[in-house]
Amino acid sequence: MTPEPFFALATLLFSMGIIGIISRRNLFVVYMSIELMLSSVNLILALFSRLHGDMHGSVIALLMIAVIAAEAALFLAIIVLLYRQRRTLDSDVFSKLSQRDTL
Amino acid sequence: MLENSIFAILALFLLFGSLGMISFKQTIFSGLSFLLAMMALAGLFALLENSFLFLAQIMVSVGAVVVISLLVMLSVNVNEQNLPKEPAKFRWMLLSAILVTPFALLMYRSLTHLNREFAETTAGYGSLKMMGATLFSDWVLPFEIVSVLLLAAMVGAIIIARKEPVNDA
Repeated sequence: MTPEPFFALATLLFSMGIIGIISRRNLFVVYMSIELMLSSVNLILALFSRLHGDMHGSVIALLMIAVIAAEAALFLAIIVLLYRQRRTLDSDVFSKLSQRDTL
Repeated sequence: MLENSIFAILALFLLFGSLGMISFKQTIFSGLSFLLAMMALAGLFALLENSFLFLAQIMVSVGAVVVISLLVMLSVNVNEQNLPKEPAKFRWMLLSAILVTPFALLMYRSLTHLNREFAETTAGYGSLKMMGATLFSDWVLPFEIVSVLLLAAMVGAIIIARKEPVNDA
C-alpha cells in the first residue's frame, strides 16, 4: 500500500477544518473544526512514524492528543461562559474585542 | 488488497463524518458526526500499526473529548431561535472551498515529495513497550511539560466556567 491516499486524506481533513472555521458561525462547529485540523496533523505524524519505521512521530502524536484534551477543556469552558452571558451560540454576537464598539 | 478496502471504508466514514460535522444545522448532529470521524481516525491509526496510538485515540479523543463535548452540547440545550441564522451557509462553504483549494494542493504536493515508501517495520513497532521506551528516553521533558499544561488547563477551565465572580482578597 502506498502512502499517497493517506496524504490526500489528511489534506482533505485539514481543508475541511479550515472550511468549517470560515463558513460556520456556530461556536461548537468552530471548536470541532479546530479539533479536526489538529487530528489531521496527528494522522500525518502517525503516517511519518510508520514511513520511517521509528516511534518518534507516534510519541509526538501522543503528546498532541494530550494538548487536544487541554484545548477541549478550555474551549468548552469558554463556550459555556459566553452562552451564559448572551444566550446565543452565534460567534458574530461576541465582538467585545473588535474596534467597532469603541468607535 | 484487504488493507486497501479497509482504508477505503475508514476514509469514507472519516470524510462523511467531517462533512456532516461542518454542514448540519443542529449542534448535536454535528457532534455525533464528529464522533464518527474520530472513531474512523482511530481505525486509521490501527491500520498504520500504531496500536498504542489507536488505544489513546479511542480513550482520550473519543472517550473523553468528544463525549464531554456532547455532554456540554446537551447541557447547554440550545433552542432553535438561539442558534445562529445562517441562510447563506452553503454559499459560504463553496466560497471557502474555492479559497482553500490551492493551499490544499500545495500541502498535498509538498507532503508527497517528502517520502514515498513504507519502511520495513521492526519487531514490536507500535507496541506499548517501544512507545514507553521512546517516550521516557528522548521525549521525557515534553512529557513533563504536557502534564503541567494539563494541570493549568484544568485550573483555567474551572476558573472560567464557575458561576460567581472570583473575589480577589
